[in-house]
Amino acid sequence: MPHVVKSTIIDTPTDRVWAVLRDFNGHDRWHPAVATSAIERAQSSDRIGCVRRFRLADGSELREQLLALSDLEQSFSYCLLDTPIPLFNYVAHVRLLPVTDGDRTFWRWESRFTTPAGEEKRLTEMVGEEIYQAGFEAIREHLREAV
Amino acid sequence: MARVFVSSVINGRSDRVWARVRDFNGMPNWHPAIAESRIEGGEPSDKVGCVRDFRLRNGDRIREKLLGLSDYDMFCTYAILESPMGVENYVATLRLTPVTDGERTFAEWTAEFDCPPERETELIANIGGGVFQGGFDALKRAFGG
Repeated sequence: MPHVVKSTIIDTPTDRVWAVLRDFNGHDRWHPAVATSAIERAQSSDRIGCVRRFRLADGSELREQLLALSDLEQSFSYCLLDTPIPLFNYVAHVRLLPVTDGDRTFWRWESRFTTPAGEEKRLTEMVGEEIYQAGFEAIREHLREAV
Repeated sequence: MARVFVSSVINGRSDRVWARVRDFNGMPNWHPAIAESRIEGGEPSDKVGCVRDFRLRNGDRIREKLLGLSDYDMFCTYAILESPMGVENYVATLRLTPVTDGERTFAEWTAEFDCPPERETELIANIGGGVFQGGFDALKRAFGG
């Protein structure tokens, strides 16, 4: 089972990074891969169990469900429900930790999933680079613009 | 119960930073506050349950017991058995996590302990700002930033 782990340091206090990340319906405002986002059944985006529907930049759609959200730990977990990409049993975790030395943020984004044999390498790279690493860079840019 | 959390970013790969800090008897090699250290009973320093007896540069002696050590998760947990600090139930953990974006290491050092309420602020400052941050500053110097 592939395990993707990416982490970075953001030169911004955790509270500001978390204020952006905690909105499960807000990824279309900063992630380049996401064109639009909506929560199904008009539920609140911090309600555990809510489902977000993404339309990606290439027009395909996917649905993801919020499994856990903690303002104390500054973490959330979610899984894929429907996807155009062969990522199955995909569960991801996002966690922020303060870097007290400099008031910065350590951000870890990881997931495990299953996929047909032969696809592991391609999808591990895609998730790690196009989703997680691209997300890190996008948040850096987003926070710069927000100053 | 008082709690200390100090974290930093070391400019080196986590396996290299871990090689420097994993030796429970090795603090004099990297921490500027520690003068000398020995493991009681001639036990290996990675045997969980072993006790280190060390002396600080200011002359204080502290005995600490290794409660947990993981080369996989890169953490070390220990408890104070005896010290002049006036703390009870002191348990601390030093943990390293790789930063995949650049060859860096996220380092966390946490402690929980009981003490008289009027001493809590001073102890948190000494342990967090002195011992833990002092250790991270030394690691940052050793790894060039």
